[in-house]
Amino acid sequence: MPREKINLNIDVSATVVQGREVKLPLLKCEAFADVKNDSQELEPVMGWIEIEVRDLKGMVINRGKHEMRSFVNNLIRVLEGIMKDAGGAITSTSVTDTGGVSRTAYVEWYSSVGNVRGGGTVMAGLAPDNDSSYGIIVGTGTTPVNLNQVSLASPIAHGTNVGQLDYDAESVEDLGLDTSVSPPVYRFRLIRGFKNLSGDSITINEVGLVARNYWKDNGGIRNDVKYLIARDVLPTSYTIPDGGSATVVVTIEVVLG
Amino acid sequence: MKIGAEVVVEVDGKEVWRGPSKSFVVNLAKVLLGMLKAPGGAPAGVSALIASETVTAPDASSKTIWTEWYASDTQFAAGGTTLAINAPDNDASYGIVVGSGSTPVSPTDCNLASKISHGTGAGQLDYEPQTVKSSYSDTSSYVEISRAFINRSGGDVVVREVGLIGRNYWAYEKGVLNDVKFLIARDVLPNPILIPNLASLTVRYRISLSL
Repeated sequence: MPREKINLNIDVSATVVQGREVKLPLLKCEAFADVKNDSQELEPVMGWIEIEVRDLKGMVINRGKHEMRSFVNNLIRVLEGIMKDAGGAITSTSVTDTGGVSRTAYVEWYSSVGNVRGGGTVMAGLAPDNDSSYGIIVGTGTTPVNLNQVSLASPIAHGTNVGQLDYDAESVEDLGLDTSVSPPVYRFRLIRGFKNLSGDSITINEVGLVARNYWKDNGGIRNDVKYLIARDVLPTSYTIPDGGSATVVVTIEVVLG
Repeated sequence: MKIGAEVVVEVDGKEVWRGPSKSFVVNLAKVLLGMLKAPGGAPAGVSALIASETVTAPDASSKTIWTEWYASDTQFAAGGTTLAINAPDNDASYGIVVGSGSTPVSPTDCNLASKISHGTGAGQLDYEPQTVKSSYSDTSSYVEISRAFINRSGGDVVVREVGLIGRNYWAYEKGVLNDVKFLIARDVLPNPILIPNLASLTVRYRISLSL
C-alpha cells in the first residue's frame, strides 16, 4: 500500500525541570500515512533524516525529521558495477569522488599473485572519530540537489576553528524487520554526533552520505575512493550554538514484498 | 526525487508485462546494511573479517556474507566481492532467475517458490548470459540488467515468478573462502506467462533515480 505525505507539526507541551519551566522545541516532521491507492508507485528504498540540536548545557533546542529523497548517480554507478560483476574476477565501475575527479571503484578486487593480506570493501559508510571525509557529513549549502552532484555544496570540515564542527565516530543500529506496517520494511540507521567547539554558531542546511571504496594488500593501499551517494538539502536550517552539539540520524528503510 | 524498481517481461521480444518490482526481501536490506557498516580501512597489518552480515541462503540455511575482509600473511592473491549479480551462461544459481511458483511473496523469502532449472529437459529453460545497460543525467538515471531464457524443452513452460539472486564471493590462490548465494528480490507475476517450445523469455530489472 503506498504512503502519502502529510505535514505535521507537533508542539510538545511545556514541562518543568528542577522547578524551572522549560519550553521544549517544536518538533518539525513530515509524517507519512498508508493510503489505499494502487495507481501510486511505491519506492523500494526510503530514508529519513533526523536532527536534534542541543545547547551548551545539553538541552534540546531544536529537532526535526525529514524524508531523505536524494540518492545520486554514484549509487547507481556502483549498482551498475554490481550488476556487471559475476564473482571470481576483478570488476570495477566508475564514480566521481568528492573532489570531482572520475575514479575507478572496485566492486570485486584481488591482490596480485605475489602479495598477501589482500582485501577490502565496496561501499563502507562507518567513518571514525574526527573524519569528515566520509560517512554522514553536513554542510551549510542550499544549492538544489541534482543527480550528478558529487559533494555537498559547502561541506563543514572537521575541526575546532570557526566554521568547523568536531565530527564524532559514526555508529550503526540494525532495527530489523517491521511487519506492523504495510508493506513491511527493514530498517537500519546510521548515527553521528557533531560538536561545535568553534567559538561561533554554525548552521546546517544540507546532509550527505559519503561511501568509501577501499582495497589494500601488503604492498599498500591499492584503491581508496570516497564518493557521495546521497545529498539532501533540509527544508529547515539547524543552527548549533557555540558549545552545542547536533546528532544526525539517517534511517534507511528497504520496502519489502 | 524518486528511486524506482521495475520489472519487464517479454516473450519473443514482445512485452507481456511491465510493473514496479515490489518485492525486495530481507536479504537485500542485510547486504546494504553490511556494506554501510563497514569501516573502510583496517589498521596496517590487520588480517581479518572486519564487517559482515547474516543472510538466508536459498536452502534456508543461515550464512555469513563478508562486506570487508583482509587475507592473512600466508594468503596470496586474495580478495572478493560483496555482491555480484552477473551470472554467466547456463547458470541458474544466481542472477535473474525464473520459476513456476505462485506462492505470495513474503519479506523473508529466500528462494523462488519453484525455480525453473537450467537445461533442455521437460520444464526447464536454457539460461542465457546477462546484459547490463545504463543511462545517466542530472535529472534521470537508470541501470538495467536483463536475461533471456530459451525454451528448448520440447513443450510449453509456464513462468509465474521472477527473482534476483546475488553472490558473495571471497577467495585466494588456493581456493574459495566464502561463496554464498542469496535471494534479494522475488516478484510473483499477475498472470502466468506461457513460453512455447523454442520461444524466448526476457526479464529486465531496472533501478532508476529521477528528480
